[in-house]
Amino acid sequence: MTSFNQYISLFKKPAFRKKVLLTVSGISILIGWFFLGVMDNPFAGNILMVLAAVVAGYEIIHKAWLGLRNRQTNIELLVSIAAIGGLSIGIYWESAAVTFLFLLGGWLESRTLQNTRKTLKSLVDLVPETALVVRGEETETIPARQVEKDMLVQVQPGGRIPVDGKVESGESSVDESAITGESIPADKRKGSQVYAGTINQNGRIFVRAGKAGADTTLAKIIGRVEEAQDAKAPTQRFIERFARWYTPGIVGLSVVSFIITQNIELAITLLVIGCPGALVISTPISVITGIGRAAKEGILIKGGEYLENAGKISALAFDKTGTLTEGKPRVTEVFSLQPENVLSGHEEIELEEITEPEVLYWAGIAESGSEHPLAKAILEKARNEKVIPEADTFQSHTGFGVSAGYQENKILVGNRSFMEERNIHLNEEGLQHVEALSEKGRTVVLVAKNGELLGGIGLFDTIREDAVSAIQKLREIGIEELVILTGDSDSTAQSIAGDVGIKTVYSRMFPDDKHKIIKQLKADGHRVAMVGDGINDALALTDSDIGIAMGAAGTDVAIESADIALMTDDLGKISEALRLSKLTLRNIHQNVMIALITVAALLAGVFSGEVHMAGGMLIHELSVLLVILNGMRLKWMK
Amino acid sequence: MKLTQKTILRSDELNCPSCVNNIESNLKSMKGVEKATVQFNSGKIEVEHDPELVTEEDLLASVQQSGYSAKVSPF
Repeated sequence: MTSFNQYISLFKKPAFRKKVLLTVSGISILIGWFFLGVMDNPFAGNILMVLAAVVAGYEIIHKAWLGLRNRQTNIELLVSIAAIGGLSIGIYWESAAVTFLFLLGGWLESRTLQNTRKTLKSLVDLVPETALVVRGEETETIPARQVEKDMLVQVQPGGRIPVDGKVESGESSVDESAITGESIPADKRKGSQVYAGTINQNGRIFVRAGKAGADTTLAKIIGRVEEAQDAKAPTQRFIERFARWYTPGIVGLSVVSFIITQNIELAITLLVIGCPGALVISTPISVITGIGRAAKEGILIKGGEYLENAGKISALAFDKTGTLTEGKPRVTEVFSLQPENVLSGHEEIELEEITEPEVLYWAGIAESGSEHPLAKAILEKARNEKVIPEADTFQSHTGFGVSAGYQENKILVGNRSFMEERNIHLNEEGLQHVEALSEKGRTVVLVAKNGELLGGIGLFDTIREDAVSAIQKLREIGIEELVILTGDSDSTAQSIAGDVGIKTVYSRMFPDDKHKIIKQLKADGHRVAMVGDGINDALALTDSDIGIAMGAAGTDVAIESADIALMTDDLGKISEALRLSKLTLRNIHQNVMIALITVAALLAGVFSGEVHMAGGMLIHELSVLLVILNGMRLKWMK
Repeated sequence: MKLTQKTILRSDELNCPSCVNNIESNLKSMKGVEKATVQFNSGKIEVEHDPELVTEEDLLASVQQSGYSAKVSPF
């Protein structure tokens, strides 16, 4: 009795039940065939065929009934009517074949779809269940999601990091491919940021926890990917609307052709081959696979709609030069200016020579209070040479420079107009220096002490190593128009553009100007993508058809708001993202074509009498599988 | 005061977008279920329900009755 109950509860499991029904129905068909063909016993053969049809039909009719109860005509309803119709007019083996093939097709679809959904599942499984928390001398294992902020977590070599946080002590290299798609491990030491789900490779590290569980970057990524997969692409929405009318339409067509031809077999064959199975699966399968593949490479695409849009991009704007450069300006040149021999009265004052380290020293003091990237670069360089004291007073003049006081001295560091406003003028020699540096694309700041120019500093933000090849790749995949929009000075922007191979540069741009240029590009018939760092240019990104944020790992805003978020700063991922979108878009179109052509060919075949019920069903199910397999190709397609 | 709880189920067996409607309506027909949404592409089933009237097991049974196995998921 217990075993019987166990069997019943097992039978309630849909996957198991389907397998049992399939096996029984399949075997019945085989034996039935044997009776029909070999033994020449049509009675036994037909009984077995009816049995096969009923067994496989059970599941189908059940679903058709559920649908009807919800006032929906679904595919199962079409097949049920066809099978029942077939049995009633005595085409037993055809009915058996139709129900068996439909169930088999559904089961295979399920299996292959499970495979596609695996990407997401594997991401979910990345986060370890437990964390080893250090409390004083003791360690304790607790569930990873219960780790609280500022707890100290120990991660053994080879172990997965359970939380987001900063390395407190220890050194190791960490495989971050789960987050960034980057296969080369990143070196981590004290102070480095680490993410949950990444693999600690060779050293034991202690991590000060920041975020755990659903707040980690990985959980956010999973959430994003999932939302993205579920966000319906315009094509999918269109097809679903279409399918709502399509199914009743097929029933209508079948009734009409019965009235005209009086051929019931023709009418029920129409029902079978008219199933929109391949059509409704055509878009989702490509979208799930495309977005899943992109996520694996560290590219988060917000959804099917964005995927379709990104596939059509023809112009791309880099919002600020910082996307093409390292974003860390460095001091490249320092020059000093000698004070002109001023004749004061009759005696010539002996003036000390000003040296370059001196220029850096005073600039360093003035910049010691500033957070500006240029200031940091100057200070770093100055500290390499000498200990730099803090300024006593400090004032920042945004967009121009800084003024500071140290002991008895008044220091000014800033651009030329900043100096001229304060009546400090460049001499001929200084002018030559400034012009030469500007020509090389340097940003130049001048340094003055007590109303006297000491010299100047040239700074340069190095172009990313991969910039040139990334731009090239973008051209290769058919992005015709590449522009840089930047707030930088003309010479700096031109120099960077020249180095990476972009011709169109708009410099000294304010946000409003950028907006106008994006609009203009759109008016010229372009689909425009804009690349930014995703944090302080969120608004600019929304202007464009597709906003791409770079280096999004760890910045929730970028992950959640950008249409496409690239987890790393790797410029090559831009073309990869657009290329994958194009591939996916093409895949969707192929699938829709496969589905439509199959239905059209089958319809023609039925009306010309070439295609019968069982054969029609076989071809139909094959077309569904073909669509799924074609979609899955996106997983590995180059 | 009525307390509703949000439970997330996942099924990786969904094989046709039209079944989504079946699962949704089946869930919604239960007393105590406020809202049910099924996402075909990711296989995620979100249900808002009164845990006093409908348990997680009830939800799983309902999905099963529509023809698919599901599991309760933390997120």
